[in-house]
Amino acid sequence: MTPLPESLLESVAAAAVREGLADAIFTRLDTPLGRLLVVEGPDGIVRIAFPGEPEDRALAEVAAALGPNLIGSDTQLHAERDALSAYLEGATATLDLPVDLRLTAAPFRRTVLERLRDVPRGQTVSYGELALRAGNPRAARAVGTACARNPVPIVVPCHRVLPGTGKLGNYGGGPERKRALLELEGAYFS
Amino acid sequence: MLPPFWTLVEAHGDELLAHARKLAGDDAEDVLQDALLRALRAYPRLRHAEHLRAWLYRVTTTAAIDHHRRRRPEVATAEPPATVAVDDDYDDFEGLIAPLNETARTALRLRFVDDLDYDGIAARLGCSTVAARQRVSTAVRTLRESFA
Repeated sequence: MTPLPESLLESVAAAAVREGLADAIFTRLDTPLGRLLVVEGPDGIVRIAFPGEPEDRALAEVAAALGPNLIGSDTQLHAERDALSAYLEGATATLDLPVDLRLTAAPFRRTVLERLRDVPRGQTVSYGELALRAGNPRAARAVGTACARNPVPIVVPCHRVLPGTGKLGNYGGGPERKRALLELEGAYFS
Repeated sequence: MLPPFWTLVEAHGDELLAHARKLAGDDAEDVLQDALLRALRAYPRLRHAEHLRAWLYRVTTTAAIDHHRRRRPEVATAEPPATVAVDDDYDDFEGLIAPLNETARTALRLRFVDDLDYDGIAARLGCSTVAARQRVSTAVRTLRESFA
């Protein structure tokens, strides 16, 4: 069987984007955290999946929300790839990429993720404090759910949310990735 | 629910390229690129998610047929060419129509290689213009189905 040349796929991707046929574009990026799946819609990054997550499920989730015309292309997402690589390799201290939270349908969860974007690099917040900032101080548990189901980890920094004890706590990508991210950002945790 | 388009490309791209190569030789990549764009335009409107691989084969076959048509644009000539130019493109074309019976192959050669219009094909086959058109369209349809 003849292998499909990368140049052919990139040509199709470029033409599809030019024609406005792409509902979303995705790329696979090797980083210090492992291979990430990054999916971008018209308004920003809609999904980042860690290696443990089934890729087909993540892509299907995006297709259900944005449409079936998902296109794979490294070239089309070249700026996003560079930004993520630079951040995760410690070359830059800022990660300023547009994010589209439409995969989070529940309004409170979405508010939580929006407030979370205001927590700067190097700082952390407790689940209770984030619940307060999202407008419902009693909803620490719902904040936990919002973080666990964060469709755009890393860029929406759910790794900066720690239990009230100050310990590392849980993370969708696994606690070792949470630790790596917090260490990269110079955040203190006990 | 339709699967994400690119998962189909990643699953079947290799065999589609091999298929395009059988139909269009060295132009296979152009044909497949055209086919995938056509497929993308149509994909969101598909009614169901069945037989998607066969559908992609059909789209690729159609793209190859159109590619051959473009390579032999219709030219208004009073006298049809008596002989057929033998070149690589012609070899590809013969490979493409090989699965058909002789009647269908003759109709397609007259239409796409000799560039005859339907009146011209009718004159050569000794049938009516309507019958000539029918023979060509049946042959094209059979060809699409044979690759599906």
